[in-house]
Amino acid sequence: MQKLFILIFLYTSAGLSVFNHANAFEVETVFHGVLDVRATSTDSLTSYTQGGYGKFALDNGETLSLAQAGGEASLIWDNGISAHVVANAYNNDNNFDIGITEAYLKYTGLPNESGYRWQSKLGIFYPRISLENNAYAWASKNTLNSSSMNTWIGEEVRVLGNELTLTRLGKFNKNAFDVSFSLSTFVNNDPSGSLLSWHGWTISNRQTLWTERIKLPAFRARMEGYDLYTQASKSDPFIELDDRVGAHLRAEVKFHKKGALSAGYYNNNAKPYIVEYGQYGWKTRFTHIDLRWLLPKGFVLTSQVLHGDTLMQSPNKQDVVNNDYTSGYMAITKRVKAHRFTARVEKFNVKDNDTTLGDNNTERGKAATLNYTYRLSKPWFISSEFTWIDSYRPARMYTNNPIDLTERQLTLAARYFY
Amino acid sequence: MFTKLPTLTLYQLKSVILLLLVSVSSHAYNNDTNSSNSLSINVLNVNSQPLENMVVYVEPVGHTITHKNVATLEIGQQNKSFMPYISVTQLGNEVAFNNKDNITHHIYSPVGKSKFSIKIRSGQTLVKNNFQQAGEVSMGCNIHDWMSGYMLIVDTPFFAKSDKNGQVEIELNKSGQYKVVVWHPQMNEANNRMSKVINVNDSMSITMQLLNPMDEIPTQKNEDDFDFLSDY
Repeated sequence: MQKLFILIFLYTSAGLSVFNHANAFEVETVFHGVLDVRATSTDSLTSYTQGGYGKFALDNGETLSLAQAGGEASLIWDNGISAHVVANAYNNDNNFDIGITEAYLKYTGLPNESGYRWQSKLGIFYPRISLENNAYAWASKNTLNSSSMNTWIGEEVRVLGNELTLTRLGKFNKNAFDVSFSLSTFVNNDPSGSLLSWHGWTISNRQTLWTERIKLPAFRARMEGYDLYTQASKSDPFIELDDRVGAHLRAEVKFHKKGALSAGYYNNNAKPYIVEYGQYGWKTRFTHIDLRWLLPKGFVLTSQVLHGDTLMQSPNKQDVVNNDYTSGYMAITKRVKAHRFTARVEKFNVKDNDTTLGDNNTERGKAATLNYTYRLSKPWFISSEFTWIDSYRPARMYTNNPIDLTERQLTLAARYFY
Repeated sequence: MFTKLPTLTLYQLKSVILLLLVSVSSHAYNNDTNSSNSLSINVLNVNSQPLENMVVYVEPVGHTITHKNVATLEIGQQNKSFMPYISVTQLGNEVAFNNKDNITHHIYSPVGKSKFSIKIRSGQTLVKNNFQQAGEVSMGCNIHDWMSGYMLIVDTPFFAKSDKNGQVEIELNKSGQYKVVVWHPQMNEANNRMSKVINVNDSMSITMQLLNPMDEIPTQKNEDDFDFLSDY
């Protein structure tokens, strides 16, 4: 399968005259990244990152953390091909983790006379979904924690595959908009959906490292004699179980000086009744709609909605987990000189459609985040952020925690971009 | 095709800029036998207001001009934009692309015989001297899509851009018939131009007024003002 992706990439880049360029093999090396240190006070449960039901990346209590040390290394050839490796390290509550989060080759062609441009990616990458996480090393620009929707993307949606993008630049056609279409075909995202189902929506900046496994929370169905006894205690979101190819389609219209509207459909096409070493295939499909709009007086609106389903079955094709889920946020940001103010509200839910005993995945919640960031100097940003989450999740009863819970987090952070 | 210039010292840079200024300001030579006729052109928009940065060039009709307006045209890449947005030069002249930003730019033009593509590293100047054809060269940056610049290559030594009063002064060294052309990529006329044929036998002033409103000039600004976005 991987060979097919490589062939597609080579075909598109070679066919588009990579090797005809004047200084085709001259190379530039570029390093970028982010350091993010936080002092945080969290009013929650044990974090979901440690197998709890807490919705933040940090456990209940006060702590000083290395919230992100991220770096991107890029080799950029003059022929349009570039190679990128992104690594991230985290030290939250004395748990230190380091690893690769993305690694890919990219080809960017030149626009033709009509303004059409091909781009291609090959490797491990994020499907283009998040409008928040486009700073170096997938850091979120305006807030410290990403929305629940994009926290999930960072946790469970990453692929090994190929992405082809065709863009039509409006400036060559006297149009005040650019249009682009992308198609990704991929493998290695078969267990996606398990963490969302079992710990629910979360709000943090934590990205799952490519080889990382995330501890599952405790619930009755995992006990001996119940349906999920054979499930491994950690989920490994980026593995291939069924040798089937998934796809992500995306279309975007960028209106010059106004904003952009995009929509996409993701389907990992996993066989839901496969299980290997305790990792199940989860057939996960969702649609996302994304809007970024420049409002009067320098306000910028960002809003995204994601809605989909996930299905995991027993080897004899009985539904074990069958969930629908939705998450959407709306954020407003405004910069006044070195000061930036951001407010975000969001709503999320999981609807549990199966009857598996001891595995209630139902969830309904809402959250609000307020961020103030001061740009101390060009690379240094000092932020304070408050997040409030109010949710209903019956699964918390499996650990004797309240079904209705309000969680809060106050963070002071220093971020350095280089 | 491209020549890389060595890194200049500040002093050298100042001298180069000074030289460029001198050569740009003396764009109309007077080395022919006839007396000098000063042609003053006033460019106005549809509402009779002066238009700045419009390219005006004057071509002889029925006679030829032999001298060349030799000057290197400099097109800078500064603050992730083309500086200036509009440039004009005579066919055969060198064009120096000068990246004043601290990042790499990938300048290209996708159309016609003047098609080109160059990557320019921070602080680098690349000189291109093989433009083959007069006409409009629309340029972009393949890393920063909002960047947009235009160069007009003309086949005459008489050209200039209008000042803030919409004014252009051109010294013609020969009496005779001339075609005065005003060009701008956002001009709403056929071929983005309007022209007038005039007889010049003395210093004279003419007005060129647009018939339609101009299209909006691109701002060359990224809509996202965050400095640490992953470009790739």
